[in-house]
Amino acid sequence: MDRETLRKLEMLNQLSLTEEQKESVISFFEKRDSELEILNAIDTSNVERMVHVLPIMTVVREDEVIKTFSREDLQKDAPETDEGYWCVPRVVE
Amino acid sequence: MEFFTVKKDVQSDLKIVLDDMILTKDMPTTAGSKMLDGYMSLFDAQVITKLTEANYAICGKSAVGEFAFDLMGETNYKGALCADGKILNASAEIVSAGDATAAICLDANGSVRRAAAQYGLVSIKPTYGTVSRYGIVPVACSGDTVSVMAKSSDICTDVLSVIAGHDEKDGTSHSDELCAKLASGAEIQPVKKIALLKSMLAGANAEVCAKIEKAKNTLSENGIEVCEIDDSVICASRVAWNILMSAELCNNVSKYDGVKYGYRAQKFSNIDELYTNSRTEAFGELLKTAILFGSETLSTDNYMKVYDKALRMRRVIVEAFTEIFSRFDAVLMPACSSMSYPENIESTKAFEENTYTAPASITGLPAVVSGSVQLVGKAFSDRSLLAVAKILEKEGK
Amino acid sequence: MRYETVIGLEVHVELATKSKIFCSCSAHSYGSEPNDHVCPACCGMPGMLPVVNKRVVDYGMKAGLMLNCHINRTTTFDKKSYYYPDLPAAYQTTQWFAPVAVNGLVEIETKEGKKNIRIKQIHMEEDAGKLVHDIREDTTHVDFNRTSVPLIEIVSQPDLSSAEEVEAYLERLKSLLRFAKVAECEMAHGTMRCDVNLSVRPEGSDKLGVRTEMKNMNSIEAIKRAIEYETARHIDAIENGTEVLVQETRRWDDIKGKSYAMRTKETAGDYRYFPDPNVMPVVIDDEWFDSIKESLPEFPEVKRERYAGEYGLGEYDAERLTQSIALCECFEGAYAVCKNAKDAANWMISDIMRILNNKQMTYDMLSLDGATLGKLILLVTDGKVSRANGKKILEAMFEDSSIDPESYAKENDFIISNDTGLVDKVVKEVIAADPKSVADFKGGKEKALMALFGKCMKELKGNCDPQTLRSILIDAVNKA
Repeated sequence: MDRETLRKLEMLNQLSLTEEQKESVISFFEKRDSELEILNAIDTSNVERMVHVLPIMTVVREDEVIKTFSREDLQKDAPETDEGYWCVPRVVE
Repeated sequence: MEFFTVKKDVQSDLKIVLDDMILTKDMPTTAGSKMLDGYMSLFDAQVITKLTEANYAICGKSAVGEFAFDLMGETNYKGALCADGKILNASAEIVSAGDATAAICLDANGSVRRAAAQYGLVSIKPTYGTVSRYGIVPVACSGDTVSVMAKSSDICTDVLSVIAGHDEKDGTSHSDELCAKLASGAEIQPVKKIALLKSMLAGANAEVCAKIEKAKNTLSENGIEVCEIDDSVICASRVAWNILMSAELCNNVSKYDGVKYGYRAQKFSNIDELYTNSRTEAFGELLKTAILFGSETLSTDNYMKVYDKALRMRRVIVEAFTEIFSRFDAVLMPACSSMSYPENIESTKAFEENTYTAPASITGLPAVVSGSVQLVGKAFSDRSLLAVAKILEKEGK
Repeated sequence: MRYETVIGLEVHVELATKSKIFCSCSAHSYGSEPNDHVCPACCGMPGMLPVVNKRVVDYGMKAGLMLNCHINRTTTFDKKSYYYPDLPAAYQTTQWFAPVAVNGLVEIETKEGKKNIRIKQIHMEEDAGKLVHDIREDTTHVDFNRTSVPLIEIVSQPDLSSAEEVEAYLERLKSLLRFAKVAECEMAHGTMRCDVNLSVRPEGSDKLGVRTEMKNMNSIEAIKRAIEYETARHIDAIENGTEVLVQETRRWDDIKGKSYAMRTKETAGDYRYFPDPNVMPVVIDDEWFDSIKESLPEFPEVKRERYAGEYGLGEYDAERLTQSIALCECFEGAYAVCKNAKDAANWMISDIMRILNNKQMTYDMLSLDGATLGKLILLVTDGKVSRANGKKILEAMFEDSSIDPESYAKENDFIISNDTGLVDKVVKEVIAADPKSVADFKGGKEKALMALFGKCMKELKGNCDPQTLRSILIDAVNKA
């Protein structure tokens, strides 16, 4: 993990670290990188990935409309709203 | 800081405290994060509906660490709960003090099991998919499990049978048939043979090893055979789990951006500053570290060699357990490396201490803690594990 | 040197379901108040879990089969992460690893002839919200009504080589998807949107040139102009070195008729896809697959040939009827009852399509029951109701779908009387009351007869066969 990669990662995740935090994150990454060797020691080339630990089942719902909450409820704790919209600083298109 | 938000005038013999990962519409749910300070959910979690129908009374909310993936709650935005230089766990404090009959907690990264072990309580992390996650603040969805913590295995059994069951609002919830088997206890296979995962003891301190030794003796005295085995694959669970958990966590907390609800920074001049300042100011250090780590495992360059590798490892670990379960009914191991954590412990310790909890987290297998030790069982053997927990519970504090 | 243009399209089509893809909010917010069809799930609040709308998978499969794709019988959903205010969870649930349909083929026809366009894949995903920039100068307003509305994205191989082919391809997609009733595909309504990937290379070369992408194009005319502009820009750059082409996303300004490079973030494109742990793989078993396969309509050209062959319709009529599945269904339903294809086609084309045009409705909006139309046609061909009154009944059926033509005809005195005594009586009265017209007719003014005829028809409330009335009238006038 170098400074440049970390800078991009921060940008990608909308975070901005202090110098001190950067140091500790870099050392955290180094530890994790060395741990990867534990996994690499195990051959998984013929193993299928496992996303869900559940037995395979298809879960679908019928196409029905159910109204749950009003806009007023949903925007009750919103930092900024106007005329029923959530608001953000102008996004340049 | 306070242990928990107390609901006044709750008159019941069946009082339940919910940890702050469980959404409640009449009390704030913060998930231990400044981001959600004062956040009021519009709806109750499915577990609350089920508990209320069964005449349990919700008596309050217990504090958690930020998004509950730390050791025991020390990363809460209001500060760590500590006494005598040791970290405390809010749910375990409340249950130990008798202020609640049981606590319902999210086991995202083993904090519930560590707390139960250190406080000498009983906890059950049921088989993944048994309890609905509807209304739970998500951390690592592929492993997140609603768990029960109480003073006895009987209470855990009672509460679990209330909250278990299919929920159509959760697409990863088991069918009614499977849940019914679990609730009725019809499928209980008595645990006769237990494997002690010896390789797990290497990092545990003497006090923890003594607990294991004591549990081993108690089990033998009760006619349960305990054999020592070694398994390096299961011990590697932590590394794979840290990857999966961090990536999922990173994705799950990306929605907290200061736009729809929650914390918004005071100063910003454009949308990126709004996002970055809000998240930077509201998130704690451990969470930031986990987000960056998780994000990196999913990057184009790393996906195959890190994330995909961890997904394959999950299957290897599941198969390792399956092999052990062809010979044994459950696996005995510690839930933590020591019986307490000093208050100045390094925050990233949670990524190492989960050595003991990651095997059950990554596989979704049920795990009980009782007598300060952990037993991991076959899928759907929750009731059988609780029966063993009953034998061990006298060994607690 | 001669150049060829290499074009691949990514077409987003909004599926015509009632509810959203992962939550039960209404998927139809056209004309609604902002944020009126939103729930905690689709505005990015914690605690709600996605449950897949079955109809979205049905439609994804149908679209795949209409475009001759292979259907992945186990299809999975993945998360794609990026920050933008129209994406409330900061991730979009889409299909990256196992999309519902792959490896398809669409045949298009231009004046150059027929050509096959290969389809790389079709994946199902959720739409993003809508941003409004013109309420306040410094603020963008965010509306999540469209968030999580189901889409399919149809990704073609770079097999298209001109604006004409792109137009033919889009029209073909629209026709096929409308026939399968999975989508409206109306670019003007935003239910069909298109990203154009374009590069230019010397003719015959097998090496691809630098590719540029134009996103969210929303009219076929604009797409055609953009393709022509981009092609010229690329050739100019290659031949004259006017600029260095770079792989980039460009915005098409249809008013200025130019494309512009879009400012992109350094981190753009790093979407960190991973399988969604909350959505189980959707396994399409044989029963499900077969039921979808059986529900597919005939392709439009198959119907056209059948209408011309089996039903003996003219090429032009067959072509007009097969513009819309709703027209076809109404026509076929009417034919099944009245057993006369030419009559049924005549009613469809000269009455129904005219009424739809007058009402400014699209042909797909036709909801008239074909069997009921067939009954109406029978009333007219059996001589029970006049053609003119038949039209009146049809107009009424457009207003009220519960109308039964025969009962309606009876209630409104539209049943033709077979009582020639009544016709004789009316004719006699009309002649007696208008001796001038009778005299005019006898004096050679043909038009005078029409006046008398009209008066009789009015008295008879139209319930008389025009030929019968005409002969009785001429007879009586001559005798008068």
